[in-house]
Amino acid sequence: MTDRRSVSRRLKRGLGLIGLVGTFLLLAAVVFFYSFTFAHLDAQAAMARASREMLEHVALPVAILMIPVTVLVLRVIRQAFRPLEEVAAEIEAVQGHERGFRIDNSQMPTEALPFTSAVNDLLARLDEAAKRQEAFAADVAHELRTPLALLSLELDRLEHDDAERLKKDVAAMRRLIDQLMLLAQIDADAVAQIPLAQISLSDVASDVVGAAAPAIIAGGKTIELVTGIHAPVTRGRREAISAALRNLIENAVRVTPAGGAIQVLVGPGASISVRDEGPGLPPDRLRNLVQRHRRADHASKDGAGLGLAIVERIMAAHEGTLETDPDRHDLILRFPEP
Amino acid sequence: MRLLVIEDNARMAALVADGLQRRNFVCDVAHSLAAAEDAMGGATYDAIVLDLGLPDGDGTDWLTSRRKYHEMPPAIMLTARGALEDRITGLDAGADDYLVKPVEIDELAARIRALLRRPGVRIQPVIEVGRLYFDVANRTARAGDQEIDLSRREADLLELLMRHAGTVVHRAVIENALYSFSDPVTPNAIEATISRVRRKLEDAHVTGALHTVRGVGYMLKDNGA
Repeated sequence: MTDRRSVSRRLKRGLGLIGLVGTFLLLAAVVFFYSFTFAHLDAQAAMARASREMLEHVALPVAILMIPVTVLVLRVIRQAFRPLEEVAAEIEAVQGHERGFRIDNSQMPTEALPFTSAVNDLLARLDEAAKRQEAFAADVAHELRTPLALLSLELDRLEHDDAERLKKDVAAMRRLIDQLMLLAQIDADAVAQIPLAQISLSDVASDVVGAAAPAIIAGGKTIELVTGIHAPVTRGRREAISAALRNLIENAVRVTPAGGAIQVLVGPGASISVRDEGPGLPPDRLRNLVQRHRRADHASKDGAGLGLAIVERIMAAHEGTLETDPDRHDLILRFPEP
Repeated sequence: MRLLVIEDNARMAALVADGLQRRNFVCDVAHSLAAAEDAMGGATYDAIVLDLGLPDGDGTDWLTSRRKYHEMPPAIMLTARGALEDRITGLDAGADDYLVKPVEIDELAARIRALLRRPGVRIQPVIEVGRLYFDVANRTARAGDQEIDLSRREADLLELLMRHAGTVVHRAVIENALYSFSDPVTPNAIEATISRVRRKLEDAHVTGALHTVRGVGYMLKDNGA
């Protein structure tokens, strides 16, 4: 903060100036009133009296007035600005959960209210704009399905070597669109505050693994489900948790070499792990993949980053976390213990 | 096998019908529910492929009301709506399966074949998966021309897996289908039956068709031969 902008420094300077001017005026007054009276006295005594007069009538009153005023004013200023500092810390702390955040006006000094209210209005407008953007993205994704369906049906009729390759591209586009739709669905659910249901993680895992198995087996890999004796449960949205697990399995299939095995483990505790035969994902790389997408940077071309970012969003909506254990080649969905 | 494709987008309908025809289905197309009613008055269909949003009404409502008064062939819903709530509504309304656009014709054809294998209105005397045939009335199976000798329980298991070929049949479903309540399931009973069936399939030169998805269930898959 520069000198010119700091309110307390400006006040200190102002008070200093008042003190100086006051001292000077009082001195002038003292000199004016006493100069003739002291004129006939000898110089030595006159000097002593004059100094005493000045101490009594100039230095003392200035000190008595200016010191408490300065201390008090600086205190008031500090107190008045404390709510702003607290709000600044709060704003820092909500990183990643900005949606719906507003400044609490109850502790604000009246003078700051026009500013904080304006900031709150701005936040509301930004939320609204973000919501419109998301709705637009969802609409676009939805509208793209029909032309994409037509495209893949037309490709199906082509008896050409390139058709297979193009079909794969269309399938990749389709997966991306599905992911976008899913993201929109999670946001819509969060806004609508749909009540959570009690969900058995083993049931979800069994359904998802069963549904994913035919394609994995056709691709020359295997998948198995390992459940313990305990049947962990969590509160949440079944489709969302299924989608998160599906994304992790897709990720595992992508990194596992041909002939490899993918394991889905339920537990210990309220967690589901997906173990692959890939190189393992270090925590900072996972964070990067997830964050990169959040910052709308270019994620990986095949949507791997998008998939994991969605998993992270789903877990955040369930107050859980997406973790990685690179030594075991695990990606873990960890839900809060009930 | 004769199918009715109900879809309002004319180009999409033509492409779906064309794709299915190239996979040996006979296809009629209807662009509205009224046209579908007409078509169903004049012909008998083995299955319906139904779009949800149609110009003269919602496919779900139509299916619900028609199921009340008519015998209906199995129906697959085809829609651009992707949310799972829609899926549940569709299945509640009496759709037998559900596919989200954009669909792959191969997948649609596979789902239709799977539907037609299920026990339904039209009795299908022989279930066919690749080289495997199962005669429902006689409870006998053969691979090509070679008879496979099966016990009652093995036959039940093979029929169940063949009816759901290409998808994983969960252990719980197998338990319910093969064992009654009074008939306790020993932990290894299903595994033992599966491995006997697998051995008999291999003896009949059907190899690698019966897959285990450990922890979940089993799947019989036509290896495309």
